[in-house]
Amino acid sequence: MELLIIPLVFGVISLILPANWSKLIGGVGAIVSLVTACIHLIRFDPLSQIVLASSSHKMAFGLTFNIGYDAFGLVMVLLTNAIIPIIFLSNWNRDLANNKLFTALVFFMQLGLLGVFTAQDGIIFYIFWEFTLLPIFLLLYWFGAKENNKVLFKFFIYTLVGSLAMLLSLIALGSAAESFAYADLKNVQLTQEVACWIMSGFLLAFAIKIPLFPFHTWQPATYTSSPMAGTMLLSALMLKMALFGMMKWMLPLTYEGISTMKWPIIILGAIGIVYGAIIAIKQNDIKTLFAFASISHLGLIAAGIMLFNIAAWSGAVIQIINHSLISIGLFLAADILEKRTGTRQLSELGGIAKLAPRFGFWFAVTVFAALSIPFSAGFIGEFILIKELFDFHIIIGITAATSLILGAVYMLRSYQLSMFGAPKISAFEDLSWNEMAVFLILSLLILAIGLCSSCIIEFTEPAFRSLTETLSSNQQIIE
Amino acid sequence: MDALIVIFLTGLIGLFIGMLKKPHLNLGVTLLGLIIAFFLQLYHGYYTSPFINYQVLEFEVSGLYFSLLAIGFSILIVLGGYRYFKRDANHTGDYYGLLLFSLCGAIILIGFTDLFMFFLGLEILSIPIYVMVGIKKQDVLSAEASIKYFFTGAFATAILLFGIALLYGATGSFNLNEIRTVIQSGEYQSSYLLIGILFILGAFLFKVGAVPFHFWGPDVYQGSPEIVTAFMATVVKLSALFAFYRFFNGTFQELANFWTGALYFAIALSLLIGYIGALKQSKFKRLLAYSSISNTGYALFVLLSTSNSSLGSLWIFLVGYGCATIALLTLSMAIQNDNDEISAFKGVGFKNPFIGFILIISLLSLAGIPPLTGFFGKFSLLMNAYPQHLYLVILALISSLVGAFLYLRLIVLGLSKESESERVTIGLWHYIVLGICAAGILGAWLIVTI
Repeated sequence: MELLIIPLVFGVISLILPANWSKLIGGVGAIVSLVTACIHLIRFDPLSQIVLASSSHKMAFGLTFNIGYDAFGLVMVLLTNAIIPIIFLSNWNRDLANNKLFTALVFFMQLGLLGVFTAQDGIIFYIFWEFTLLPIFLLLYWFGAKENNKVLFKFFIYTLVGSLAMLLSLIALGSAAESFAYADLKNVQLTQEVACWIMSGFLLAFAIKIPLFPFHTWQPATYTSSPMAGTMLLSALMLKMALFGMMKWMLPLTYEGISTMKWPIIILGAIGIVYGAIIAIKQNDIKTLFAFASISHLGLIAAGIMLFNIAAWSGAVIQIINHSLISIGLFLAADILEKRTGTRQLSELGGIAKLAPRFGFWFAVTVFAALSIPFSAGFIGEFILIKELFDFHIIIGITAATSLILGAVYMLRSYQLSMFGAPKISAFEDLSWNEMAVFLILSLLILAIGLCSSCIIEFTEPAFRSLTETLSSNQQIIE
Repeated sequence: MDALIVIFLTGLIGLFIGMLKKPHLNLGVTLLGLIIAFFLQLYHGYYTSPFINYQVLEFEVSGLYFSLLAIGFSILIVLGGYRYFKRDANHTGDYYGLLLFSLCGAIILIGFTDLFMFFLGLEILSIPIYVMVGIKKQDVLSAEASIKYFFTGAFATAILLFGIALLYGATGSFNLNEIRTVIQSGEYQSSYLLIGILFILGAFLFKVGAVPFHFWGPDVYQGSPEIVTAFMATVVKLSALFAFYRFFNGTFQELANFWTGALYFAIALSLLIGYIGALKQSKFKRLLAYSSISNTGYALFVLLSTSNSSLGSLWIFLVGYGCATIALLTLSMAIQNDNDEISAFKGVGFKNPFIGFILIISLLSLAGIPPLTGFFGKFSLLMNAYPQHLYLVILALISSLVGAFLYLRLIVLGLSKESESERVTIGLWHYIVLGICAAGILGAWLIVTI
């Protein structure tokens, strides 16, 4: 329970105390919650299922109060609590760090995310899912680009459409089940047609948030107009809620419909991979470029998740972590470029590597990590995902594999145009200590995960086994 | 029954105290009376009332809950409106008296057992409101609102009376339970009964302000003082909805196939027309009036469900809706928004964090964002209606999407960083009212769910 209470308490404290405390509170709160999560990790046995709060008391309308996590949930909790300190660290020297509203909103965001990852009840999941929308909206509204109301409304309405569809699905599932507790929802037996409808409700919510190909139109503009921390929260953590939701909620609960829904979603994912990459290649705005790159990466993960087997999911979870780390690095680099040169247009940048060699080096490291070179986490993740997609269908596999090549094109292009060539900028201040620290931590983490990815695969394996269990037992009956 | 008498006497005493022209005395007496009434109703049945043999009014558990809510809202309104009523010290007593008499009607409307008492309650509820709507005598809009409300209201009452007469003619009884027995046995003059039911349905839809009888709503809400708007939007709607439920889900239950179609039509249109109409408004009270039409559409879902928990859902929905509406109207008074422009809210929430907080939670609660009371109200109403009325549920979700857009625009306006206006400070009474409303919005759902 303390996992959820700590961000709430620090959020409220930072609202109460005067603004010059908020930097300190941000740092302390983020570290404290990271340490708490680590303690949970040390105590955790991968085979078990931890219950943080549970009430035997049945509330009205089938609501229950159940919070807990399995190995997969714990990985996501750790990821959240590791990313939040990095976000604070990357903001350390900026004006926002001294803003108490900002600090509080990030903590509330963390609360919502942790709630989503630990919910064991459909309605609690929905509550936290919706709750995250509020802090991120205010963050984008107060600290984002001016005159971005239209973009924000688009973002809000898009996500709300998805959420309401998910609510309908939950109501449909819940009215058939004894209560909204996860175990009860999982016990519901559905016919294939109903399962498809319910899955589509969930899918709409998740596809908009990921975003999958035809539902992505809110994303680039939102990323571009948000402050750096907002973009980081959105791409590193909020999108992962949707991937988590697919793995933990959508597929296990409505596995009856998977055989029908598998193909369309995988095809959408594959389209997203190529589509995002191609648009990224032609982008001139570096933040928009990274946004489309993100569509491409996440299309691959979503397609992999729909395979609904343990191997693909192991690849997916590594890729989820990897994408979070990389997107933090990339958006930090983009923001550094924007802050110090006043522009995000690649055509107006150039020759920065000479002016700021340290930035040149660390940006290059991040770019290579994003290219999934061997020894980086992305190599393992993408390799497993692409292999599984190959096994599923060769054309899908080939399409997915193009992401490696196209990724190299847009990433190297963005690096080359901004860092090399004739200098178009007279002065460029090199990295400050906190930015160096962020890049260093990210690279070390990516390297560490790349080298011992088997720990994560083994750690999450029992959880994935129980999540995908239903289908395999079903298959055995058919065989 | 005791609570009713206390409220009535308080109103009467208030009229005489009003002659002293000391507003704070009036406020004290009114509050005291309401609080006594609240506790009498809370401990109803725990003591032997001298009126125990009086059969015309009966309060079951649900009726008690709803009457507590009506009294609670009235307390908030009396407190929140003090600053407004104080301005005209000559008539403070009259205002409070009228409000209390109207509340008497609301409580009769919750506890009635026969058609006669029902009609009396409805009239006692409505007539003081006709006066209160037109209380700003010099204001053209207020006069227009009063006239409009009076004429349409009188017309609706006439229709209702006609319906009651037909009902009596068809079943031979005024008592709701007896009418139900007759309907169950099938020994009635069917066409008279059905026409009577339709007339009663129309009158009810008028009273709660649902489409297609909603046209009075925006004009009347806009013309009346905030405090009367708050009373109409909460107490009146609440008691009318409860009576509606008693009639249609109790007495006319067996004829559900007959009236469900008409109700379907009313709900579907209310859900859409309310929010869509609200999108283009620039006056705050008018916007609230339109959004209240859609909220009525939600509340009417309760009539479609046969489950036992449906009254609980309606109750929690009304708590969320009422607290949010009172909070918003109190805010509008607190920032002295005399012109009733929406743009007056620009930036007030950012300058004063307390106002910002209230603005966010009350609007989000109306929009149905969890974990606020408004969400649980809508959720449970939809949950009860779910398997049988799938398309209506989908429509409700779509409408709440439009609503979310509407409320979000207000939030964005209120939290805007760019504003020339000074930091608004608000009075103690308003702090108390807003605080209670916030507590209701944040935590009231616990009462029902746990």
